[in-house]
Amino acid sequence: MNLVVCLKQVPQQNNVRIGADHTIDAGGIEPIISLFDEYAIEEALVWAERIGANVTVVSIGDPSWSDSMRRALAMGATDALLIHDAACAELDTHATAQIAAAAIRRIGDVGLVFCGRNSTDDETGAFVPALARALGWAQATYVGAIQQLDATVAQLERHLEDEVEQLEVQLPAVLSVVKGINEPRYPSLVRIRRVARAVIPTLTLADLGMAPPVPATRVVQRVPPAARPASEILAGDAATQVRALVDRLRDAQVL
Amino acid sequence: MNEIMVIAARAADAPVPDAQTRELLGHGRALADAAGGVLSVIAWGPDAAALARACGAYGADRGYVCDGEQLAAPTTDMAVAVLRAAVAAGAPRLIMSAASFRMRDITAALAADLACGHIAGATDIRPDGDQLLVTRPSHGGNVINTVACAGLAVVAVRKQSFAEASPGAARAVALVTLDVPMTSRTRVIARRPRAGAVNLGDAAIVVSGGRGLGSPEHYHALIPRLAAAFGGAWGASRAIVDAGWVPYDHQVGQTGKTVTPKLYVACGISGAIQHLAGMRSSRVIVAINKDAAAPIFRVATYGIVGDVHEIIPLLIAELESRR
Repeated sequence: MNLVVCLKQVPQQNNVRIGADHTIDAGGIEPIISLFDEYAIEEALVWAERIGANVTVVSIGDPSWSDSMRRALAMGATDALLIHDAACAELDTHATAQIAAAAIRRIGDVGLVFCGRNSTDDETGAFVPALARALGWAQATYVGAIQQLDATVAQLERHLEDEVEQLEVQLPAVLSVVKGINEPRYPSLVRIRRVARAVIPTLTLADLGMAPPVPATRVVQRVPPAARPASEILAGDAATQVRALVDRLRDAQVL
Repeated sequence: MNEIMVIAARAADAPVPDAQTRELLGHGRALADAAGGVLSVIAWGPDAAALARACGAYGADRGYVCDGEQLAAPTTDMAVAVLRAAVAAGAPRLIMSAASFRMRDITAALAADLACGHIAGATDIRPDGDQLLVTRPSHGGNVINTVACAGLAVVAVRKQSFAEASPGAARAVALVTLDVPMTSRTRVIARRPRAGAVNLGDAAIVVSGGRGLGSPEHYHALIPRLAAAFGGAWGASRAIVDAGWVPYDHQVGQTGKTVTPKLYVACGISGAIQHLAGMRSSRVIVAINKDAAAPIFRVATYGIVGDVHEIIPLLIAELESRR
């Protein structure tokens, strides 16, 4: 069985700029693997070691994502596959999932796909359901523990806001994992060196035998958030400041 | 804007719409009225019909209902089957739900099956000619996106995005019973409340602490007590969660929880971008920090430049004395 991890590269900090044409400009901000995806990589590696499977990391991005993919290889992933195509620039979740599904079908014999609960930049959490439905597979999102995995079924826990749901999931399936499911490993220096020059196999949509999928939504405007009202720094000694604060909170009817 | 559907969620104690469902009904009614359309609810579970009828007081005209014990908390496959049956029985232009983890999961799967638009974590929806324009923050609230959707749109909406509908003259809700064969590739073995679960997302007041508290002992001696004095829940910055002072369930920020309480009190938190992402939409923000240059003061409504160890006990005493 093959395991797949879908990896997204994101800016480490979200203080991105908005370009005149409403594009996101993350120039100057260090690119990293989206935090929750690190947990997905670790969980896939743990289970691959237990059941004897390969782990392929799949991304839809551009060649600048290679460093993040090499980091996943250095953590222990077996293979990496980058889908890069000019037509992938502004896709919605639905279209992205179509492409990822095609890539996963191409890898073949995939039992389980691991993803993070959401990317830390777009924050939709919609990719995993969209991918599962595109593949026609079962899904389990917000997974906080996997107890058992064999060729046909997984036993796991979904960690929702206020409850834990114990699920039995028929494979193949697509999962998203939450922070805390494991402690992602640091790649060893030896492994980092070994993959430093690894060329990441890259395919276009034509290589996958597909036309650019048609997005169902498009972003027509991006603006910064409305400025918050000016701050009032309370004056006086500590006791005066505290009394002034409680007065203002009463006036604002938040107490 | 022919038909607008709201996926109804029931209040914990009775088969009536919960607070967010009332918000969605209020906004759905306004959109339907503007277009001379119909507002429908989709309800599932043992009390589906009662819940749908109760939505009549908040503007619903029609109810698609699917009852059954196993739909009390359905699997994704079951919920999607019910929703697809409702879509087939009606003619929706827009389907709205809460943006809880469970509903993000279900609505994204529904939209994928229907090959239609899905927008998660929306804060506004408005018509624009033949299309819908949906507002959704991303990048930790640093970017406000306007997303256009020309066909059917499935939108998971954040709490407190719309005013709650006030109960009016009850409309007679025309019920449409859905008969849906239930198959699922996942099976629920058990459900249990999360041990130590903190529903920060529902709290009207959140009091958070950070590195400025100095130690886990100081955090636990001060922050839960201050939260209790405010009648709120307690949260934490990523730095102290990662340092093991406080469990992850309390983390506010980009990789923790996003909260929008009426009052957020940040104690000894500098205001890293990752933290601001989780709380900057709170109505009133109070910052207490000894560093006047801390970025948290840039989003604060009221700031106290001072030592948290001195200010917090005074604040607890002041709140308790004014009870």
